[in-house]
Amino acid sequence: MLITKTFRSLGSIKIPLILFMILLFVISIQAPKLFSVSGFSNAILVSAPLILATLALTPIVMAGRGAVDLSIGPLISFLNVTLIAWLSGNNITNPIVFCLWAVIAGAGYQIIQALIVTYIRIAPIIVALSGYLILTGVNLMVMSRPGGLSPEWMSSWSGGGEPQIFSPILILVLTALGLWGLFTRTGLYKQLRLVGSDERMAYTSGVRVDFVRIVAYALGGVFAGFAALSYTALVSSGDPTQGATYTLQAVTALVLGGASLSGGRGTATGALLGALNMFLITYLLGAFSFGSLSGYITSLAYGGILAASLLVNVVSNRSSVSRG
Amino acid sequence: MSTSYFYDRCLSRMSIDKSISIDKSIVLGSALLIFLTIMGGFLLEGFFSFQNLRSVLLLAAFLGIASLGQTLVALLGGLDLSIPFIIGSANILLPSLLSSGLPPVLAIVIVLMLGALVGLMNGALSFRLQGQSLIMSLAVGFMAVGATQIYTSIGSEFGGNVFTPIPEWLRNLAAFNGVTFGIQIPPVVFIWAAISILLIWLMRNTWFGISIYAVGGSRVAAHRLRISESRTWIQVHGISGFMSATAGILLLGFSGGGFVGVGDPYLFTTVAAVVIGGTSLLGGSGGYGATILGVLVLTVLTSLLVGLGLSFAAQQAVIGSFIIPMVAVYARSKHIRNQI
Repeated sequence: MLITKTFRSLGSIKIPLILFMILLFVISIQAPKLFSVSGFSNAILVSAPLILATLALTPIVMAGRGAVDLSIGPLISFLNVTLIAWLSGNNITNPIVFCLWAVIAGAGYQIIQALIVTYIRIAPIIVALSGYLILTGVNLMVMSRPGGLSPEWMSSWSGGGEPQIFSPILILVLTALGLWGLFTRTGLYKQLRLVGSDERMAYTSGVRVDFVRIVAYALGGVFAGFAALSYTALVSSGDPTQGATYTLQAVTALVLGGASLSGGRGTATGALLGALNMFLITYLLGAFSFGSLSGYITSLAYGGILAASLLVNVVSNRSSVSRG
Repeated sequence: MSTSYFYDRCLSRMSIDKSISIDKSIVLGSALLIFLTIMGGFLLEGFFSFQNLRSVLLLAAFLGIASLGQTLVALLGGLDLSIPFIIGSANILLPSLLSSGLPPVLAIVIVLMLGALVGLMNGALSFRLQGQSLIMSLAVGFMAVGATQIYTSIGSEFGGNVFTPIPEWLRNLAAFNGVTFGIQIPPVVFIWAAISILLIWLMRNTWFGISIYAVGGSRVAAHRLRISESRTWIQVHGISGFMSATAGILLLGFSGGGFVGVGDPYLFTTVAAVVIGGTSLLGGSGGYGATILGVLVLTVLTSLLVGLGLSFAAQQAVIGSFIIPMVAVYARSKHIRNQI
C-alpha cells in the first residue's frame, strides 16, 4: 500500500526510474565492468555533457510555447570551439576566465533567444532553427575541423592519471543540480510552471511573463555553459561537428526523463535520469558486439526509444489527468 | 442554419484570410527575389549566363520537391523533420536494390512506396501528439535511416556509401547536362514544374486541398464540415514521405552514387523555404505557390553567396540569419494581452 502510494507520488519520473532500474539490472549481468571505480569515473565523464545539456533544455521547455531549443547542440559546440580556438589558442588558459566565458556566452546566447521570442514574438522553434543554422555555420568558421588542445588543468579533469569518482566533472554536475535546487525554492520556479502550463492564466494573475521567460532561458544558458565545459574536458579539444548529435541526444534524454514538450512540466531528476538512461543504453549496446553495424543500431535504437517514450508520456499523462 | 450555409461561410472566410496573408508575403518574396537577382547581376560576372540559370533551376527543383511535403505539413501546423533522413535512406536504398539485380523501375517503385509508408507511419504515430510531432518525426527519421543502413550494409563493407552503376536515363533526369527532348535543361526542372502546377490546382479545386486548409485553419471548423482530422494529417505525412523518397532518388541521378548524408542540408532548408515563402507554421495560411518563391529566393541567394566565394559554413550562417527578419515581417504572434 505504502509502496504504491510512494510510487504514484513519483509522477512523471516513474517511467524513467523503472527503465533506469531495468537497465542497471541488465548491465549488471551483461557488462558488470561498469560497477567499478574506473567504470564509474568513466561513466561520469562521458555522461556529464549529456546530463548538463538535458538540464539546459529543461527550464526552456518548461517556459512553454513548444520551445524545444534545437540549437542546444550547436551552442555547446560553439562554446567548445571558442574555448579552444579563441581562449586556449591565444594562450589564455586561466580556469576562471574559461568557466566565465562558457557560462556568460551561453547565458548571453539564450537571453538573445528569449528577447527575440518575447519582443519580436516569433515562435521559439523558428528562433531555435535559425540559431541552429547560424551557429553550425559559425562553428565551422571558427574551426573548420576538429583540432586544438585543451589547457593542461582541464585535461587532468578527464582522469589523466588515477580513475577518480570525485572528479571536477562530478562537482560541475552537482553544482548544476544544486543551482537548480536553489531555483526550485524560489517563487520564480512556481511562476515558470504557471507560465509554461497556461501563459494567459499566468498573465492575468499578474506574473511577469516576459521576465520569467528570460530568466528561464538564461538559466538554461548557464547550464549549457557547464555542458560545454564538461564536453571540452571529455574530448580535450575542439570539435565543430558534434552539434547535431548532441541536440538529438539531449532532446531524447529530455523526453525520456518525462518532461512535457508542451511546457509547464520538467524536473532536474527527470533530466538526470533521462540522460543516464541514454548513457546506459549506449553502454549496453556497446557491450554487444555488432561490429560495423553498431553505429546504425544505435541510431535505430535512439529513434525507437524517442518514439516509444513520446507515446508512453502521452498515455501516462492522459491517465494521470483522468485520475485527477 | 443549414450545413451548406455554414460551409459557404467557412470557405469564404478562409479564402479572404488566406488571400490577405499570401499577398503580403508574395509581394515581399518577389521583391526579395528581384533584389537578389539584380544584386547577383551587378556583383557577379556571368550570373545571368545560361549555365548559371540552369544550375539555379536544377538546385531549386531538388529543394522544391523536398519542400512540398514540408509545406503541406506546415499548413496543418506541424513540421516534418524526417525529410532529410528519408532522402538519405532512399539515396542509399535504391543503389543497394539495383545492385541486387532488381529492374530499375521496380526498385524505384519499391523505394517510393517505402518512403510513403514511413511517412504514413510518421503521421499515424504523431497524430495523437501534434504539439510534439516535430520530435516524433525526428525519431521516425532516425529509425528509418538506421534500418536502411543496417539493410544496405549487410553483406557490404561500405555502410554509408553504395557504389553501383546508375541507369543512364536516371542520370539524365537530374544531371547538370541533362537533356529534355532536345532542350539543354535537365528533365527534373520540368517534372518539378508539372508537380507544382498539379499541386496548386489540387489545393484550390479538390476536397483534399480544402481539407488541408480547413484542418490547419481551425480543427473545430474542419470537424463541423465532417473533415477527418486524422485522415488529413496522416495522408499529408504520407505525401511528405513519398516526395522525400522522390527527392532522394533524383539526387542519386544527380550525384551518381548513394550517400546517406545527402539529405542533411534539407533538414532546415525545407523549413526555411516554407517560412521565407510565407506559409505560417501555425497552419492554415500559405501554400505551395509561396514555397516555390521561397525556394527560388533561397537558391538564388545561395548561388549569389557561392559566387561571392563564401564557404558552405558561411552560407549556412547567412541563410539562418535571414529567417528571423523574414518571419518577423508577417508571422508574428499576438502579444499575450491580445490573446486573452
